[in-house]
Amino acid sequence: MLKNYFKIFLKVATQNKLFTFLSLFGISLTIMFVMIFSMTLNKIIKGSGPEKDLKLMLFADHAKTESKGKNRSVNTNFLSQALCENYLKKVTSSTITSMYRTDQWPFILNGKHYEKPYMMTDSEFWNVFDFHFLQGRPYTTEDIVNQNHCVVITQNIRNLFFGDEKDVLGKTIRVLQLQLTVTGVVEDPSSASQNISDGIFIPYTAMPWPYGLDPILGPYTVVFKADSKDRFPAICKEVQDIITRLDRADNQWKITLTGPRTQFEKMMTGYDMNEDTASPIGKFMKYILWGLAFIFLPAINLMALNFARIRERGEEIAVRKSFGANSGNLRGQFIYENLMLTLAGGIIGIILSFVMITLLGSSLSVPVSDFNNVQVSFSFDLKIFGIALLSCLIFGLLSGVLPAIRMSKMKPVIYLKGGEK
Amino acid sequence: MIKLENISKTYRTRSVETLALDKINLEVKRGEFVSVMGPSGCGKSTLLNIIGLLDEPDLGQLQLEGNLITGYEDKKTAGMRNHLVGFIFQSFHLIKELDVYDNVELPLLYRKMPAAERKKRVIASLEQVGLSNRMNHYPSQMSGGQCQRAAIARAITGEPGIILADEPTGNLDSKVGQEVMNILTDLNKAGTTIVMVTHDESLAKETHRIIRLFDGRLVG
Repeated sequence: MLKNYFKIFLKVATQNKLFTFLSLFGISLTIMFVMIFSMTLNKIIKGSGPEKDLKLMLFADHAKTESKGKNRSVNTNFLSQALCENYLKKVTSSTITSMYRTDQWPFILNGKHYEKPYMMTDSEFWNVFDFHFLQGRPYTTEDIVNQNHCVVITQNIRNLFFGDEKDVLGKTIRVLQLQLTVTGVVEDPSSASQNISDGIFIPYTAMPWPYGLDPILGPYTVVFKADSKDRFPAICKEVQDIITRLDRADNQWKITLTGPRTQFEKMMTGYDMNEDTASPIGKFMKYILWGLAFIFLPAINLMALNFARIRERGEEIAVRKSFGANSGNLRGQFIYENLMLTLAGGIIGIILSFVMITLLGSSLSVPVSDFNNVQVSFSFDLKIFGIALLSCLIFGLLSGVLPAIRMSKMKPVIYLKGGEK
Repeated sequence: MIKLENISKTYRTRSVETLALDKINLEVKRGEFVSVMGPSGCGKSTLLNIIGLLDEPDLGQLQLEGNLITGYEDKKTAGMRNHLVGFIFQSFHLIKELDVYDNVELPLLYRKMPAAERKKRVIASLEQVGLSNRMNHYPSQMSGGQCQRAAIARAITGEPGIILADEPTGNLDSKVGQEVMNILTDLNKAGTTIVMVTHDESLAKETHRIIRLFDGRLVG
């Protein structure tokens, strides 16, 4: 039976080339966009390079203080050094905890203006993230304690400052007011990195935060790394207990912390401190709904084409019914044909996504949340294959079911009237 | 074999009601070859469609092979059509995207039949109508007579007890039409009950009985 359906599908597809082209074009474009987005999301969630253990990390990066008095005052920011050093880094539920802050470093080099990111971190940073050192070593706890002016740089920074020179250990670069000695060179992080900048890394004690010493609010993010995700609830509880104790002890300010949360939750919720809307699942569902709408609209278009196509096949439907096809057989046939079409379109879409990513390369980036754009690269694993297949299936069913039902209900006598051929 | 009792059918549009069949009482015995004649619009095709379960009467009862047809539930009537009835149409109605073999195999696909058995039956049917050498041809590659013979093969491949032929020679010249008629006669001699709509008096005379319809009623 399926062989018969497949023969019909091929014949119908090759006979009406315009319909087939329009259908395949719409399906393949849709699947291409779904693929590009999926690959990007997969890359971000999976983590790569220094962030390869992203799934074992939780982040606490935003706090809010609200006045408890009559005059309402609300402040939000990253976390203070004191909060990180004295409380959050002492959390015992995590295997290792690190603190860091990120900023932009404008400079002029050889007459050209640049702005590169710099990260100020503790020594545990190098144990949380898995950097590959091309030269030298990370800075140590001793460097932190001694407020040593040392720096770890990426390959790109090395090439920028030192050109073809490979051995740059011990050389200095000027960063803001500091003369820093290069102690290590690391591989450039992935363009999909959400937490690691492609720039320089400095001990956080080398350059104190110049904007005051609020007990809660400051410039830092804390990352908790666990041996397994099973530790996450314990980490979250311990951190929340700390915040609750601090909140109770403070008569003036109500203290709230965003996190600890996973990379995915961080990406989805951003820095929305509103408890009602900060649900990562809610925001993820928003993107899923957008994705479905993206599939739904072309599917509606294909459905319209299919409705038109059915009228042309009235005679065939009538003949099949005459010889024993019931409504279920006809529905099954049409849905099968439509699924074949969407699978063919899906394969073209996957190829197109590869071509697009290869051709456009670094200029192709995908907005994955309200504030994150990520550069796309091609990666095809079982999960992505599953998403491609599922998208084709959804597309095929959405665009095929209603026309199939219409087809199965057609009255055969209208098309079987005698008369001249 | 076929029994119609007080069968009536009315076609309704927004403005017009047409009484296609008016209290038809008819019996066709097993092995009979019956022709149905009448002017255009008298209800011949409607009669055939109702016997073949392609249409539902408004009033009356139909029995096929002793089975009283009630309810007209889709799956049940489709199954009965598949097993009991074979159709031959004036315009052949071969599926143009399929070759002769696949067209003839069509009724068997809607049964739970192994592929080997299907192949055996299809080849036998094509041999019976003299088209064994055209199995892989498409309708567009064949003459009208060959197409009608392929349609006959499709109608008989499932070995139905009843063949319903709606002007099977209408689109054929007299010589080819006679060839088709000879095939139908041979089928009938082998035991198949045939109800044939025709305008051709000479062909009708070759059948056992002529039923005449006028304005939806049996006459004569």
